[in-house]
Amino acid sequence: MEAVQDYEALKPELAAAANDHGEPHWVVDRRLAAIDDLATAALPEVNRFDIHRWPLTPTDEPLTFSRSSADLAANVPVAADHIQIVQVGQTTVTVNLPAELADQGVILTDIFSAFREYPRLTQEHFMDKIIKTNEDRLTSFHTAFLNAGVFLYVPKGVVIDDPIELHLVQDSTQEKHPLISHVLIVAEADSHFSVMQHLTTQGDQANLASCVVEVFARPNSEVHFSSFDELGPNTTTYLNRRANISRDANVDWAIGLMNDGDTFGDFDSELIGENSKSDAKVITLTGGRQRVGVNTRVTNRGKKSTGNILQRGVIMEKSTLIFNGIGHIIHGAAGANAEQENRVLMMSSKAHGDANPILLIDENDVLAGHAASVGQVDAKQMYYLMSRGITKAQAKRLVIRGFLSAVLQAIPAKDVRQNLTDTIERKLENGAEIE
Amino acid sequence: MATLEVKDLHVEVKDDEQNKTQEILKGVNLTMKTGEIHAIMGPNGTGKSTLSQTIMGQPAYHVTQGDILLNGESILKMPVDERARKGLFLGMQYPAEIQGVTNAEFLRAAMNARRADDDQISVIAFLKELDKNLALLDMSESMTERYLNEGFSGGEKKRNEILQLLMIKPTFALLDEIDSGLDIDALKVVSKGVNSMRGDNFGSLIITHYQRLLNYIVPDVVHVMMGGRIVKTGNADLAKTLEKEGYAGLRDDLGLDVELVDEN
Repeated sequence: MEAVQDYEALKPELAAAANDHGEPHWVVDRRLAAIDDLATAALPEVNRFDIHRWPLTPTDEPLTFSRSSADLAANVPVAADHIQIVQVGQTTVTVNLPAELADQGVILTDIFSAFREYPRLTQEHFMDKIIKTNEDRLTSFHTAFLNAGVFLYVPKGVVIDDPIELHLVQDSTQEKHPLISHVLIVAEADSHFSVMQHLTTQGDQANLASCVVEVFARPNSEVHFSSFDELGPNTTTYLNRRANISRDANVDWAIGLMNDGDTFGDFDSELIGENSKSDAKVITLTGGRQRVGVNTRVTNRGKKSTGNILQRGVIMEKSTLIFNGIGHIIHGAAGANAEQENRVLMMSSKAHGDANPILLIDENDVLAGHAASVGQVDAKQMYYLMSRGITKAQAKRLVIRGFLSAVLQAIPAKDVRQNLTDTIERKLENGAEIE
Repeated sequence: MATLEVKDLHVEVKDDEQNKTQEILKGVNLTMKTGEIHAIMGPNGTGKSTLSQTIMGQPAYHVTQGDILLNGESILKMPVDERARKGLFLGMQYPAEIQGVTNAEFLRAAMNARRADDDQISVIAFLKELDKNLALLDMSESMTERYLNEGFSGGEKKRNEILQLLMIKPTFALLDEIDSGLDIDALKVVSKGVNSMRGDNFGSLIITHYQRLLNYIVPDVVHVMMGGRIVKTGNADLAKTLEKEGYAGLRDDLGLDVELVDEN
């Protein structure tokens, strides 16, 4: 969906908007460089899934900054004793960071404030070290047109028990109002914490959501990232979440992909340091004519690094779901361990789906395994539930919930777990039966 | 009084690996009423589990002849869940494990399945009943918040089957080898649970290899099954005789031409 081909012509307007927004020079420069990348970069490759016609880079919608009404965040449970940041579109509505954490040097703020106030920390990491702006067309577009985001910094040795909540509400009450949101997380050495992201949409305008998360996990840090993605049916979504994981560090992902619109997800753990670990779990449930494609990648670079991928999806009605699990072990990563499991349940003869394990192994001294399946609900579980009088329809919902429970169990907050469970139930109930 | 009648029941199963069907039940006749506990004993591979699974409606078992009647009504065409709501219960030898669904939630769903939409059990009534039965079965409350059978030990699974029995309160319970893998203390607890159900509105068919269970749940009627048929019916003493003489002894007494699986 290319409206503008003359990229050079985009630059003056973009620079003016960024300057008016009070952005540091280095940010403006990166935006302009990203426009150059955009002119040449290709779309990322997604095995067996075509995103070429998706409106993922609407260059005809200029960079603008505008306020959104805080009322759109009315559903977000704000509580003073929670650690949380709430954003509606480009507007930060709430930041709750306990004083004791701020005193220890923890930073939780919107990304543009961070660019100004913490240039050293942000310039080093933003779209340059973990995800590179020039990697593909979607990353270039993201940097060029960035209009929202969060910066989270946890200093050396700081351990935070309660989850840090990021509630991001897309404002689609406005036309031509894409959400280009960037979450940058820096975990210094020996820090431990968990982050829960919740993405929702208000309004029904057709808009893009380009939501990127970068995590830099320094040695011996531990980051548990969970996400509950509930963007609306008229939103075309690009998700890119990636972590660079240093020596002895651990980053877990638990992603509940429950968007109602077309979604491309690109999730990646880079196991760079020796003995680094990552566990990526993704569940999704697709319906209607929705198309969802997910690349979940783990790259073992460090010796004795361990990476696991578990993906489970349920495909209903006339929807399409492709799960690609990519395990890449780089030469030199001796003693690396990479396991993956990708499974989809087909609930309809009109649905389309696949689970593809892709293993790229350039080292001999490794352990690697994979399992993949495309199938129906488990007959033994159905029989057991029905033998207690539970109807077929309800039994099916319970079995599917069990199938998807891997991610449910990894979400730290009980109320979020319950919300995700409710969303799964609702989607299953709404999904028309097509035998 | 309710009745469960099995009439001249012939059942086949298909072996998917060898792609051939095999007749397991070859004409079973059995009538039981509420207020009675029946036991079915018999050697391995003789069709005891097939009988209970067929009564419950497991789709892998195909009835080729005969009928199963609950209060005079044939249940052969009913799906599993409908049979359950009509009052049948099968305590299984290998209960399925289901992640993501808590035991408590499952129990409530099962109890509500047989109640009208406007008469669903209240949380308070449910918890009261649950606490009572957990205490009876010496089970910890934490079991109810665990996922259904997931990671349960063999003994915990058996107790959990009996917990479901006590909560659901079926008319007829088919209990398939609920004693297997239980130590003596667990056996006593499980037996206590079943005995607490005894009464005019409950009947049970207990399947077991061993007489040991029947010391704790004393049956009114004992059936011996061999080669896909019930070959002898008697009272509780029959089980004791069997324990002494073995199945081969009974077979030879009856002059049956049946090969016993474990016989060497």
